[in-house]
Amino acid sequence: MTSAKKQPSTRRSFLMSAVAASSALALAPTGDVLSSPSTATETLPVSLDTPAGYASLSPDEAAFVEAMVNVMCPADDLTPSGVDCGLATYIDRQLAGGFGRGDRLYRSGPWKPGKPQLGYQLPLTPEEFFKAGVARVQEACATKFGKHFEQLAPVDADAFLQDIAAEKIVDPQLPLGQWFNELVYPLFVQACFADPMYGGNRGKVFWKLIGYPGLPAFHTRDMVAYRGKQFPGALDPKSIQDFS
Amino acid sequence: MAKILPKRTVVIVGGGLTAGFIARQITAKGIDVLVLERGGDHRAAAEAKIPNQRDELRWGVQNQLAQNWATETYTLRHSPNEESLPVRRLESFLPGDGLGGAANHWNGQTWRWAEYDPILRTRLESRYGKKAIPADMPVQDWGVTYAEMEPYHDLFERLFGIAGKAGNIKGQIQPGGNPFEAPRQREYPQPPIEITESGQIFNGAVESLGYKSFPMPAANSPGAYTNPDGMKLAPCQYCGHCERFICEANAKASPQVLLYPMLAQRKGFAIRLRAHVLGINYDPKARQVTGVRYLDLQTAEEYEQPADIVVLGAFTMTNTKLLLQDGIGAPYDARTGKGVVGRNFCYQVTSNVPVFFKDRWINPFLASGSTQTVIDDYNGDNFDHSGLGFFGGGYIYSNVTNGRPITTRLLPPGTPRWGTKWKQANADWYLHAFNIAVHGSNYPHRENCLDLDPTYRDAYGQPLLRMTYNLRDNDHRMTEYVTAKAHEIATASGATIVGTPAPRRGDYDARVYQTTHVTGGTIMGSDPATSVVSPHLQHWDAKNLFVVGASVYPHNAGYNPTGPLSALALRLGDDLVRYIESPRML
Repeated sequence: MTSAKKQPSTRRSFLMSAVAASSALALAPTGDVLSSPSTATETLPVSLDTPAGYASLSPDEAAFVEAMVNVMCPADDLTPSGVDCGLATYIDRQLAGGFGRGDRLYRSGPWKPGKPQLGYQLPLTPEEFFKAGVARVQEACATKFGKHFEQLAPVDADAFLQDIAAEKIVDPQLPLGQWFNELVYPLFVQACFADPMYGGNRGKVFWKLIGYPGLPAFHTRDMVAYRGKQFPGALDPKSIQDFS
Repeated sequence: MAKILPKRTVVIVGGGLTAGFIARQITAKGIDVLVLERGGDHRAAAEAKIPNQRDELRWGVQNQLAQNWATETYTLRHSPNEESLPVRRLESFLPGDGLGGAANHWNGQTWRWAEYDPILRTRLESRYGKKAIPADMPVQDWGVTYAEMEPYHDLFERLFGIAGKAGNIKGQIQPGGNPFEAPRQREYPQPPIEITESGQIFNGAVESLGYKSFPMPAANSPGAYTNPDGMKLAPCQYCGHCERFICEANAKASPQVLLYPMLAQRKGFAIRLRAHVLGINYDPKARQVTGVRYLDLQTAEEYEQPADIVVLGAFTMTNTKLLLQDGIGAPYDARTGKGVVGRNFCYQVTSNVPVFFKDRWINPFLASGSTQTVIDDYNGDNFDHSGLGFFGGGYIYSNVTNGRPITTRLLPPGTPRWGTKWKQANADWYLHAFNIAVHGSNYPHRENCLDLDPTYRDAYGQPLLRMTYNLRDNDHRMTEYVTAKAHEIATASGATIVGTPAPRRGDYDARVYQTTHVTGGTIMGSDPATSVVSPHLQHWDAKNLFVVGASVYPHNAGYNPTGPLSALALRLGDDLVRYIESPRML
């Protein structure tokens, strides 16, 4: 739509170098179609902003999450792959932290299933629910395709996620549609757009993509000067790390 | 055994907005007051300092400034025939916690309500006939008139430096203001804050349709401001972190900026933080309260705090819960319509029409919580409801308050939810879209009410408050009608793409944020059979117990609640002075 939003090649190179040369790639099974984005062949300096390794995910769970974020955020002209954007790292850190343990979630019984509008009603912590869902998705994937999710061709994996989101994959043990739409998908969106401090949005890649200028947002003069005009600060967004 | 503390003249439950106003009025007359606040002081914390104040995930998504649901949540059922369950992570509305309460994390949109709102039943009956109001819609007069409240609105606006353009000064309609505004004695203390690009687009669209738009009245200060107490606001930075956030720039009028630092210097004022009130000591034979019980969260010691006067100034839900727990006033029974505590529980009915402009730079991050332009033509009873099948309405506005990227990205209809096309659509439209929105009323329904849940308990071992609540036919008809008007404005806006209008449909959904404006439960009125507190906010069954907050509103209008709530709190402060001079039913 506007030239300002296209990433010039020099910027793209910068982005590539800014993303962590992922631990995730090292963990991914060899021959994994989805976990081998085009950027993997480039030699990338390692960023120090997110330490390598997973705090919650097992290697098998990580293989699923990496494959999923690479389907939902494929490497293309807009961003590197989901793994290289830090999306799997973000999800892992959230599951391992307060959110995953159910902090701020009312967790007293008795427990009963309820109408969707009443929200989450399972005794599982979000981390436990996430992992139970991964296991059921792999089971459903094996039934349908005879292989693990991370072994699917991207087009099949994408269609399979669409079916889960549309509640077309019915699992007798776990509400997969709710699992995806109310737990997995919000984590994916947060991974893209939260401050890079949390492990996703590496190099502020999604903020640059959409034109969000980030911090410090002292816009008293900008409010008038850039009303109805392109805001130059959006080309070089700042994050919490830049002020720390 | 609870340790008994020395008696105080006035004890206020909840250290938020209303407690600050009451304390201002009574300490000025030399009356001592103790405020008990369950949370801490945010002012030196990460939420009030750069850079962490700007953390959307922590404050905007995980809502870490709001009530912690692990400690206390509410249960919900859509009708009395259903079993209630706890809302384990409530998104729908966000009670505050800590000094300043929910007035820390508000957007700053500040309205006086319509002149007829405090006499709504009289108004509707006189315009449409007595039979026009459905039997299951217990709208009622408040027992107070707008004219009685006007001086307190004026004082509140001065204290909080409200920015706006008057629409009606002493009955004279003012160009550029809201022609439906209740008459005010003078202009706002500050001129309007800057209008966004979206506001200008909205202005053009509504003008072409013959409406008169005006700037949203704002508690976000356009310039440096000193209030009559000598307290100061700094100029707004238009940073787009108002609602769900504390203003680290002291530019958003809030009690911890304008009231508590001033009160701390006043003789007779005291506040105890992390003091969670467990109950009110009530003597039904004497029809008096004798004080409150609270838990010191820093020592786990329980205390009894005797008082001559107790004021409930907590959030809507807590005010109601405390009365129910200690059996002060008859609990409301939806089956019989009898009883009072818990009745007329109302919320909000909002809706949106997204608009997308290929060649206009909306820049949603250049905004404050009140940088909107508005029309008021379809709010409340500002239009003729004959034959429409509903009452109420809402204001329609260009709703840009922020560009926080996790939650505030609009995408055209048909955009996939992930993948390259999703990313491209975000890149194409993030800077170029906004919502034309409706902030709609929610009139009471006989079955919408609050009581104590029979099963679930909070971290202190006390019952959770139970919401029996749903959107009703009146709400569904209202939102369809007013959203259609917003759609007409969207269509006239010159948008490249007009998104799908989204009137509020189906059952109430606790997973979706609308506003934090829950009202009722301890409503005011002239008749003890249909109200909890008198027109002077005095409990009918305990003359030294007073309740203030949106919990006293008999209905929720299509206006934000802070204006009348603040005016009522300031008036209550003056009423307490009169009561102390001569204790009686006021």
